[in-house]
Amino acid sequence: MSANTSAPMTGGQTGQAGPAGVGAGSVIHDLGYRRYDGLRLGRAQIVRALAWHSFRAAFGFGRGAKAKIVPLVALVALCLPAIVNAFAMSRGNARIVDYDTYTPTFRDLLMTVFVAVQAPELVSRDLRSRVLPLYFARPIKTIDYPLAKYLAFTGACLVMMELPLLLLYGGSIANVHGGAAVWGQTRALIPGLLVGLMWAVVLAAISLFLASLTGRRAFATGAVAIFFLLTFTLAEILLQVESNLNQVGPAVPVQTGPGGQIVKHVLPPAPDVAEKVSGLFSPFTLFDGVRMWLGGAADPADGVANPGAFGVVYALVLIAILALCLYGLAARYRKARLA
Amino acid sequence: MFAANFRGDDPPRPPMQAYFNPTIAALTVRATLGRRRAFLFALPAVVLIALTLILRASHPQALVWPDRVLGDFGFSVLLPLTALIVGTGVLGAEIDDGSAIHLLATPVRRSTIVVTKFAVAAMVTAVFAAVPELLAGLLAPDSSGLAVALFVGALVGSVIYSAVFVLASVLTSRAIAFGLLYVLIWEGVLSNLVGGARILSIAHYCLGIANALHPDVGLHAGLTLGTSVTLGIIVTVGALTIASRRLSSFAIQGEPA
Amino acid sequence: MSVIKIENVSRWYGNVVAVNDITVDIGPGVTGLLGPNGAGKSTILHMIAGFLAPSRGSLTVHDVPTWHNPDIYRTLGLVPERDSVYAFLTGEEFVRATAKLHRLGNPGAATRRAIEMTEMSSAADRRIATYSKGMRQRIKVAAALVHDPEILLLDEPFNGMDPRQRIHMMELLAKLGAEGRTILFSSHILEEVEKLSGTIQVMVAGRLAASGDFREIRRLMTSRPHVFNVRSSDDRRLAALLVGRPYTTAVELTAKGLQVRTSDFGAFCAQIATLTRDQKIALRELLPTDESLESVFGYLISSQGN
Repeated sequence: MSANTSAPMTGGQTGQAGPAGVGAGSVIHDLGYRRYDGLRLGRAQIVRALAWHSFRAAFGFGRGAKAKIVPLVALVALCLPAIVNAFAMSRGNARIVDYDTYTPTFRDLLMTVFVAVQAPELVSRDLRSRVLPLYFARPIKTIDYPLAKYLAFTGACLVMMELPLLLLYGGSIANVHGGAAVWGQTRALIPGLLVGLMWAVVLAAISLFLASLTGRRAFATGAVAIFFLLTFTLAEILLQVESNLNQVGPAVPVQTGPGGQIVKHVLPPAPDVAEKVSGLFSPFTLFDGVRMWLGGAADPADGVANPGAFGVVYALVLIAILALCLYGLAARYRKARLA
Repeated sequence: MFAANFRGDDPPRPPMQAYFNPTIAALTVRATLGRRRAFLFALPAVVLIALTLILRASHPQALVWPDRVLGDFGFSVLLPLTALIVGTGVLGAEIDDGSAIHLLATPVRRSTIVVTKFAVAAMVTAVFAAVPELLAGLLAPDSSGLAVALFVGALVGSVIYSAVFVLASVLTSRAIAFGLLYVLIWEGVLSNLVGGARILSIAHYCLGIANALHPDVGLHAGLTLGTSVTLGIIVTVGALTIASRRLSSFAIQGEPA
Repeated sequence: MSVIKIENVSRWYGNVVAVNDITVDIGPGVTGLLGPNGAGKSTILHMIAGFLAPSRGSLTVHDVPTWHNPDIYRTLGLVPERDSVYAFLTGEEFVRATAKLHRLGNPGAATRRAIEMTEMSSAADRRIATYSKGMRQRIKVAAALVHDPEILLLDEPFNGMDPRQRIHMMELLAKLGAEGRTILFSSHILEEVEKLSGTIQVMVAGRLAASGDFREIRRLMTSRPHVFNVRSSDDRRLAALLVGRPYTTAVELTAKGLQVRTSDFGAFCAQIATLTRDQKIALRELLPTDESLESVFGYLISSQGN
């Protein structure tokens, strides 16, 4: 913004690009815009960069300190049972936490908090600040944006699920002796890690899809939280009601759930159809059903009954939910709308 | 000199009305119940009633399910979640998108704004959480005593939760995130594990009151009526007071340099 | 008689100083707050409006501090820059609600008047979500005017307005200023400030670079020569004559006439007419080229950077 009008130009022109064309042999050199002719990284690099940036955002990095509180508190809280277990084992007590079930309801609630608060950070923020055109004005296909976000968030949920398991493993290894025992621990760890993978893949899909429906973060958090908690409580109630109709075993006050102690009755070996169907109503119970179908042990603290052969239906429902959410997520961005 | 034609004299107003502004209330109700949002908190209430009806039809004997439906679903999930979404939204949404400044650039007292918004939040939460709770309780067999007790508890909960969540929305833009952490982790898990933590759990104030009306071991209420009422009042009044003070210092963070 | 008194006001955010020791009095009429982005204009406006506390110093409106004082809004209207209003309301409902919040005795009449003043009558029944940006600006102005305030603060009010809307808004503000109100608006669009306000306050990097009428400011800046475009019947002869005069620092022959730099504005203006008459040269055009606000602004900015 200079008002300096003094610089005299030959020929009275102030143009920049191209020769002035006044006299033969005179030329004004174009020193302005230069083209970039170097190496251009392709789609894969863009997707990778976006995914890495989103992965960091899932834990609040790249924003202020307050954004890190909830995800890191959730991560630490989720790791606590592993630490407590290591402590207990070091004192010679039996392990209190298993690899594949970990601490059921506690983990359900913490993962609900994590995905409800962080999924909007990944997708709703971009919708609100209308930066999608900036992303799509790059040489990527429209599927790349949701793909990158999904990969990032699955990775984040994977960290949330597997880190405590690895800590549990580390704590157990430190307390057992002998190669055979270590190998036993390792063999027990693998199914736990696979369960964690299942959780991460599905939870990320559902929460990202729900969050991408709105640009307001608070609204998205509310919607995701309501979805998971509503379905979870619904399934739990149905399971308890159905299981109570069977033989009632000794009452075992086992664990705390939201709002009060849930007194569970030990489940009889053969649950009826209504009980099996009850487990279909919530992603968390679906996870457990699939886990048990694939050979996992029933955890008495958990309300889900072993579905037996019916577990195939659990797996199919889970896959259907996953497919629907991924399709919805991709469709959401197909037209690159602004909001 | 100016506005002689349009500014009537401010009529003296009775003390209670000084804290409640009908214009703000109307705006807040419209904003809260607009379009998609109402769907979000109508849905859990509908599910509660539907669940009750289905269970009543399929399992007419009471057994244990009314406790679970009214307690775990209605009281422990529906009430705090509805209060969270409504309470952090009444003022938080406007602060978040910047439209709060139009409200604040008026001579309305900050405490009036806070109290009016709080009142709307409490009423909406009561309609969408406490009333369905009562309905479900009356529909469930053999549960009217529990239903009324939990209804009163839910009304009290609407009030206390709304006050706390309105305060949270004034203090931080991430009120719903911290509120969710509080509801699920603090109230859901910790305060049941650690006995002393109950004095910091709003759910337990409400359970204490409900338990006093209809003693039921299944409620696992740890606080007495007196403690619950006292703490409830302290928390509500304290939250509203702090929120009013903080709103007076509402600062627009301009773009720095 | 100054309405808004700002004394030694500073505002910092950690290490960043947004406003740096500003002292200025603002009185009735239209005052333009001018400065590049990041100069601290919005910060000062928000502090005057009571929405930000100064880190140091005092801001008073009619000798009453604005921070923590909602009563000032009886006589003060603010039009914020941020494009955020209740989108679900119609324009009329929004202004009427504001009128009721100001406890006006006759909110309906006040609403109609404010909407007519900002020419929003035809769109007042539509939801604000359907408005264009310029319309949103105008409805915000209507809401700020509904209680007939004595002081009006506008943060970048012409953003998003098309030329016709801008002219109308300028006429409105000029009329309000002529009624004796204190209008303070911020802008970085120089033509608007030039046309609208006599008094400008120029802010650069948080400091007050200049205050007053911009032509006076220009004259105060004696370190820079004045530049005139001169066209006459015999440019070359006139150029030779001017070069001989002590007040001329440079003369340049261009296709469009002469460009004369002079270090003594007064002497040049006094003598150019006499000179051309005595030498029988017809003076066709005499145009100061850098007394626009733009050049004043530019000089101030670059002198701050030196």
